[in-house]
Amino acid sequence: MKISQKIITNLKSGGADFFLSVPCKLLANMITILENDKDIYYSAIPREEEGMGICAGAYLGNKLPCIMMQNTGIGNSVNSIVSLLQLYQMPVVFLISYRGTPGEPVGAQGGMASVTEDLLNTLRIPMLHCNTEEDLDKISTFTNHSKVIESPVAVLCNFNLMKDD
Amino acid sequence: MNRFELLNLLQNTIQEELVVCNIGLPSQELYKINDRPNYFYMLGSMGLASSIGLGLSLAIDKNVISIDGDGSVLMNMNTLATIGNRAPSNFTLLIVDNGSYGSTGDQKTFTNERTSLKDVAIGAGCKNVIECSGEETSENLKKALDDNNNSYVIISKIKPGNVPIKPIPLNAVTIRDRFRKEIGLVTYL
Repeated sequence: MKISQKIITNLKSGGADFFLSVPCKLLANMITILENDKDIYYSAIPREEEGMGICAGAYLGNKLPCIMMQNTGIGNSVNSIVSLLQLYQMPVVFLISYRGTPGEPVGAQGGMASVTEDLLNTLRIPMLHCNTEEDLDKISTFTNHSKVIESPVAVLCNFNLMKDD
Repeated sequence: MNRFELLNLLQNTIQEELVVCNIGLPSQELYKINDRPNYFYMLGSMGLASSIGLGLSLAIDKNVISIDGDGSVLMNMNTLATIGNRAPSNFTLLIVDNGSYGSTGDQKTFTNERTSLKDVAIGAGCKNVIECSGEETSENLKKALDDNNNSYVIISKIKPGNVPIKPIPLNAVTIRDRFRKEIGLVTYL
C-alpha cells in the first residue's frame, strides 16, 4: 500500500485531479485509494480507448486527467492517442502497470512488454520508468510536465516494484 | 429527413450548450450549417464523440450534447455502459441513426438489420432512452436540456444521405482553444 499511496500522492501533487482505470492486479491498491478519495473524480471504465476520449473531454473542462491501465492498454488506444490527444494537444498522464517485466509470472505478458517502449517511442510519448521507490518522487514533476508540453506522458511502474506493495 | 436537415433543424434548440460532434460528414455539415465556437468538431478518433462529451460533462456544470452516429456508437459500444452508470444530468447523447456509414459512402450498418441501439442502451443501464423520428428530435432534445435531474440518450431515426461538402478548414488546436474559451478557460484569444 505504501508504494501505491506514494504514486497517488505524487500524481495529485503534480496536478492530476481526474482518474480513470481499467483494472490490473498491480493497480488494485491504487484503485482502492482512489475510490475513497473525495478530492478527485474517479471511475473504473471498460476499455482504454474509451478512456482516452473521456480524458480528452475532462481536459477540455479544465481537468488534468490520469488513466491507469496495463501496458496492453496502449495497444488498444493507438489511434485515439494520435488523432485525438496529440492532434488537439491534450495533456493526459498514463499510469501504466508494466506487465511482462522481470518478476512477472504470466509468460504471455512478455509479448506486449517487448513492444511497449518501442510503441511509446514511435508515438513520441515521454516515459518515466519507475523501478525503485526513489523513482516515484519524479512522478509529480512529470505529471506537471504533461500539462506544460500539452501532451500525453507515460509513467511505467515495473512488476517488481508493485508486486509486494 | 436526412442528417443535414436534422442538424439544420436543431439549430433552433441548441443555444449555448457545449456540443461535441462526430467525425467526418456530421461535423462538416454542422460547420457548414452554423459554425459556432461552442461546437467541438472531431477530426479523428471515430467512436469517441460520446466519450469526449461524457468526460466534459463530468468536469463542468454546463449542459453538454454529444452528437454521435450509429456507426460510431457501434464502434465504441462500451460507451453506453459507462454512460448508463456514470453520466451526470448535464449530459445528453444524441445518436443520429441513419443506418449507414455516411462518411465512407453510405454502407449499411447493423442498425439496418437486427441491432437496436435503443435496446442496447437500455440493457447497458441508460435511463431516459428515447427513440424518435427526425421531426420529433428537437422537442425531445429540449426536454433533455431542460431536465436538470436526468441524463438522456436520444436516438433519432432518419434517412441516410449526405450533401456535397468540404473538410473543415479549422485546425485542431484552433477548435480546441475557441471551445475552451467558451467555457472560460482561455483568456489569450
